[in-house]
Amino acid sequence: MAATSTRYILICSGKGGVGKTTLTANLGIALAKQGARTAVLDADFGLRNLDLLLGLENRIVYTAQEVLAETCRLEQALVKHKQEPNLALLPAGNPRMLEWLQPDDMRKIAAMLGEQFDYVLIDAPAGIEGGFKNAMAAAREAIVVTTPEVSAVRDADRVIGLLNSEGVKPIQLVLNRVRPKMMANQEMLGVSDVTDILALPLLGLVLEDEQVIVSTNRGEPLTLTGNSSPAGRAYTNVARRLQGEEIPVIDPSKERQGLRAKLGRLMQTKIF
Amino acid sequence: MGIGPEMELEPAQGALLVADESGRGSHRLVLPASCQAPLPALVQQAIDSGALLGNGPIEGQVLLEAGAWRLGLSQLGELQRTLAGRGLELVMICSSQPHTHVAAAGLGILSQWPNSAAPTSPAKPDSDLQVHQGTLRSGDHLETSASVLLLGDVNPGARISAAGHVLVWGRLRGMAHAGCQGDNTARIVALQLRPLQLRIAGAVARGPEGAPPAGFAEEARIVAGAIQIDPAQPIWPLSG
Repeated sequence: MAATSTRYILICSGKGGVGKTTLTANLGIALAKQGARTAVLDADFGLRNLDLLLGLENRIVYTAQEVLAETCRLEQALVKHKQEPNLALLPAGNPRMLEWLQPDDMRKIAAMLGEQFDYVLIDAPAGIEGGFKNAMAAAREAIVVTTPEVSAVRDADRVIGLLNSEGVKPIQLVLNRVRPKMMANQEMLGVSDVTDILALPLLGLVLEDEQVIVSTNRGEPLTLTGNSSPAGRAYTNVARRLQGEEIPVIDPSKERQGLRAKLGRLMQTKIF
Repeated sequence: MGIGPEMELEPAQGALLVADESGRGSHRLVLPASCQAPLPALVQQAIDSGALLGNGPIEGQVLLEAGAWRLGLSQLGELQRTLAGRGLELVMICSSQPHTHVAAAGLGILSQWPNSAAPTSPAKPDSDLQVHQGTLRSGDHLETSASVLLLGDVNPGARISAAGHVLVWGRLRGMAHAGCQGDNTARIVALQLRPLQLRIAGAVARGPEGAPPAGFAEEARIVAGAIQIDPAQPIWPLSG
């Protein structure tokens, strides 16, 4: 495939711990499984852990740092996944790299990856400082990850503003760690509350799932092992939507049956 | 006995000389609100009655509070001489009239505006409207020296401020500041007015809580010193 059709997607959130790296790992595996040649680039140089989630930590020999310094070729630094040969990881260098890395360096790396891959997923660091700006420089489009919490939504909003000003387009939203029960009882921000503020198309909705923690510790993303868990299914759907398939996003708080849910819905309806 | 300098004095007819009892600052010569009576007579009277109130004749430095009096160079010069004849030195003039300021400058007397507010600051750029398109996201701050019309939302964490009115064709959920240079008549209008905080000139209010009325634009303005929210009037320019 020609390099021009490569999609450079930044995965960012502003706030830490909302699931950027988890999404990157799962999305990378899911896309690779669907036949797309995918590279995941860890732009979180300070606190790298994408390699842990993919279970590739012990295979790393060279990093992006050596590629940029031209002490090794890109092929040497790329780590192919054990079970999914379509997926490759370009590991981040050591944290010191942050000090000299420029947005131009990130563009250079991304362009090199673009020659070989259909998708380049860039795992951005938390925050909006230098590290994030470097990561943003390499991206053409973005996926913003947030959770239904006020602080995460606020930070996501800030990040979207920065992406807009840099001309990154389109920006899509993944709502992570959704608890349908709490949403139905209005103990948590609803899907519409979040999309109202952020005004982005919803690319996916991932339910809170204990299996995510298990898979993280094992270094085997959920999308790798099958579609048994709710979160795994959601990640696979995100990948399919990204490829252009039409799969409706279902609001879980509206899906619940039973008297309590009906009452909850009734109370949500505003009568004037 | 005597009248403390911290008291607000508004003599109805006569001028008033307020002695400085602490002995550190200057005495205050307050002119009446109406600018009709002949000035030299007023001042003589004030000095005489001031001497009666205090313990003997007042001497030292004097701050003239001229209010809206329009004093020329000759009037001010005469006043200065009258005061000097009674052992009083005119050191500063507080006035809201630009003419008086010019005269004071001509005599080499310091002058200041009441409450140090220059007449240019409460600008009312009603006719001047800036239009901005796009949503203000968290961390954004839109600031204009005119009135502003925003076509989009103001998200929580964002700020919009204008010297004139703030008009939001969308949801206002961040912070808005109208009349940020001191215009008390400035208003904040939004299709959905649910801000975190509202400010008009120097007044601050928290946003209303609860669901907004559907389909009505709302307007915030200062009524009797406090910010009040009403359904918005479909008029431009905003007035009254």
